[in-house]
Amino acid sequence: MQPIVHFDNVTKTYGAVPAVDKLDLEIEAGKFVTLLGPSGCGKSTTLRMLGGFETPTSGRIILSGKDVTSLPPNRRNVNIVFQDYALFPHMTVGKNIAFGLELKGMASDRIHRRVTELLELVRLEGFSDRMPAQLSGGQRQRVALMRALAPDPDVLLLDEPLSALDAKLRQQMQIELKSIQERTGKTFIFVTHDQEEALTMSDKIVIMNNGRIEQMGDPHTLYRRPESRFVANFIGETNFFPGKVLEIAGDVAVIDADGDRLRARTAARKPGVGDTVDLAVRPEAIVCSAVKPAGDNAIEGELVQEIFKGNHSSLTIRLPQGRIVHALVDPLKSDGFAPGPIWLSFDETHAVALVA
Amino acid sequence: MNDRDNPARSGGPTGNAPRYSGWIGRLAGSSAYRFSIGMLAQSRAGRLAMLLAVPLLWIVVFHIGPIFQLARISFLQQFPIPAGSSGAYTWANYQIFFADSVYFVPFVRSLIFSACVTLAALVIVYPVAYYVAKVVDPRRRTKALLLLLVPFWAGELIRTFSVIMLLANRGAANVLMRELGLIDRPIPLLYNYFSLSFGVLYLIALFMLLPLYAAIEKIPSHLVDAAADLGAGPLTRFRRIILPLSKDGIVSGCSLVFLTCVGVFASPLLLGGPGTVIFPEIISAFFHGASDKWPVGAAFSMIMLVAALAIAGLFMRIVGGSRSTRFM
Amino acid sequence: MSNKSFLFADAPRTMLTGFYWAFVIYLLGPLLLMFAMSFKDATFIAFPISNWTLDWYAKVVQDQQFLSAFVYSLFIAFATTCFATIIGVWISMLISAEGIWGKALLFALACLPAVVPGMISAISLRIFVSVLDMQTGTAAIIMGHTVHAVPFVVIMVLTRLRTMPANLVDAARDLGADSFIAFCRVTLPFLGPALVGGMIFCALTSIDDFVRTFFLGGYRPTLPMLIFAKVQGGMSPEINAMATLVVIVTAAVGLYAERLTRRSRIS
Repeated sequence: MQPIVHFDNVTKTYGAVPAVDKLDLEIEAGKFVTLLGPSGCGKSTTLRMLGGFETPTSGRIILSGKDVTSLPPNRRNVNIVFQDYALFPHMTVGKNIAFGLELKGMASDRIHRRVTELLELVRLEGFSDRMPAQLSGGQRQRVALMRALAPDPDVLLLDEPLSALDAKLRQQMQIELKSIQERTGKTFIFVTHDQEEALTMSDKIVIMNNGRIEQMGDPHTLYRRPESRFVANFIGETNFFPGKVLEIAGDVAVIDADGDRLRARTAARKPGVGDTVDLAVRPEAIVCSAVKPAGDNAIEGELVQEIFKGNHSSLTIRLPQGRIVHALVDPLKSDGFAPGPIWLSFDETHAVALVA
Repeated sequence: MNDRDNPARSGGPTGNAPRYSGWIGRLAGSSAYRFSIGMLAQSRAGRLAMLLAVPLLWIVVFHIGPIFQLARISFLQQFPIPAGSSGAYTWANYQIFFADSVYFVPFVRSLIFSACVTLAALVIVYPVAYYVAKVVDPRRRTKALLLLLVPFWAGELIRTFSVIMLLANRGAANVLMRELGLIDRPIPLLYNYFSLSFGVLYLIALFMLLPLYAAIEKIPSHLVDAAADLGAGPLTRFRRIILPLSKDGIVSGCSLVFLTCVGVFASPLLLGGPGTVIFPEIISAFFHGASDKWPVGAAFSMIMLVAALAIAGLFMRIVGGSRSTRFM
Repeated sequence: MSNKSFLFADAPRTMLTGFYWAFVIYLLGPLLLMFAMSFKDATFIAFPISNWTLDWYAKVVQDQQFLSAFVYSLFIAFATTCFATIIGVWISMLISAEGIWGKALLFALACLPAVVPGMISAISLRIFVSVLDMQTGTAAIIMGHTVHAVPFVVIMVLTRLRTMPANLVDAARDLGADSFIAFCRVTLPFLGPALVGGMIFCALTSIDDFVRTFFLGGYRPTLPMLIFAKVQGGMSPEINAMATLVVIVTAAVGLYAERLTRRSRIS
């Protein structure tokens, strides 16, 4: 299937600094795609280039099979939901939503029907005569979303639209956004620096860093199989054990980490024997026990602190050489640990050896 | 009229349905628009042209043009240039100024007068601005400010005229003083420096008030409280905190008032006397009456403009102040 | 915030209050005096007022010269306001646009007519008019007043634009408006009240302007020129009534403009 959006080797530089560096990205229609990364990683620039507010320094942007690289924003069939909503303060909610439809030359009664229908979609019936200043943050957010959806764009762009909301409302809106996306079947491209937001809503996450794509994939794959230290660190929490590769057996690498012999899955970029690697293990993949477990992947440490949080316990463990390891354990399966010596172990399929 | 039975209600929009797609949709869709502005707005070059053309043309022609022409004419021997002659350039017009104290004295008088009025305005208006910005009850602040603004809508000439009414020989001031037995015969209050400064101050006080008010209002009150807490007395607080923090307002207020004072024309004609001839009157004479010597008048204007801007600029440089607040 | 601890204790506070009211009397006194005199029943200006009359107002309202000057001034103010608003807003759009080089210089040049002393500005315009081979008169006056008014429009519009959310125009463009329609539909309504306030300000300065009109005017007098001529020609009590009428109208309009700009600053 032809992708609905295609960034073809797109570069954008400000002065000498590339904000987006040779970006190649294809986005399928009907998906909820998130561009995730720290601030300054180029995700917003990417979005603004697609919206038409920035022109790439080089490369092409193809939208629905049409080269739109140098088209102004008003001639592209994409709409943006802005970070601070950018609702027109002097127009009613209805007029705001109708704005794009009026410019399409739609007849008044058809606009009226479409506005009513869209307001129903977000349960804001009867709000069409209110002014934006009379709405709450969440309501403004929904109106902005409907205004952008009204002209029926090929792709809807969302530029960190939830960042102005408080935590509880944000979670609620995440679910609502995802359900609107599913109901309308539109392609959503969502930009955020919040990994939790990305994991909750996305069909596909594109992780960006320094203007480049670090890794992309569905949330599960990204969480379970990070391909770089950056991704492992950016999505979720990860413990790293640096070491040298002793041998490679198929998809498994055997590593010497400060004298411990550890086994882990190799990442897509396979290390060679003798290479320095970081072994990445999620806190919840670590199994703690008071006695030495059988088999490989066992490390002895000292329990420094245990914090009981109801549905899990968070353990802070210090290894002999001073490294700190975090582990999450299920309180239903253990009775807690006494401070002092403790054994850690993990399944080799839950650990990845990342080339440093 | 039963609205519920109206069949239009279920179909198209009813009478009270919002009317969408107004003129803007029709305008954007019309071919006249699409082939004119719409076409320009499509390309980056077109948008830039729309944005640049009129403003740049206006600024160059009407903002720079007159001053440039003033400068050019000031170097001409004759203006209008007589037919057949090439219009040679000369310094002669400027030399006239320095040759005769008849011109030099009013010039200096004009500058000193403006400086004095500026200083007087600062000293008089500062406490007023301070009072409105910080002392008066915040709820009544707008009213206190408006009371000061209202007279300024009266206009230059009417206010000058009202000053005449006050100061004339049989004006209110003299009548009042005689009633009180302070004087036997009217004292001449009009047509001298007193009436001139009184009237000009009356005209320009607003230009001092607004920048000062804006600057003082911005000073956070807790700064002064903090200083008081650290043991600073009222005078120290004023000198070390309020004065430095209102510097921007002082700079822009003084520059504005000084430049306005230098250019006042009507008031000196009406309020001044033979002993108070200041420079604008001298310049004006070159443009009216028999002595049609425009180049000389232009040269004198240039001298005045350069002197006034130099003094204002020097003042700003010495006292300092942030760029953005100047003239705003 | 406690006003009490601000700067002075109570005694200086009373002093400041007194000073403020003295200043108010200084500003309003002469005008009130003029109001009072406009009701005086005598052909010369002097105190005290013994008999009160409305004769002067009747006279002013029937005075052809006054009415003609008033209408002429209104016409000039109207034309000036239209031109100055269009050009001022246009210049502001240029100065506030993205990626324009030399904005500080542009702003300084746009404000130039506001800093040139009035007298010199008038003379430079007079010379400019004759260099262009234009006649003095209505067109020249309107040009002069417009040049003088543009900086004030620019400053007011730029001040208001600074409070406009950056991406409102982006949003309009994104929804299919080209830059001109986005300007008409979003930027102009946003400027709204501030712009109307600025326009009234323009009109009032135009009606008030004497020095430029004096140098650029033709034979038909504007209101300030008529008052100037009357004042110079001797004190007729009629001027009091005339001035009072003008003050009442301009002050009312001015107050309205002030309220508009104030409200737009809050919202």
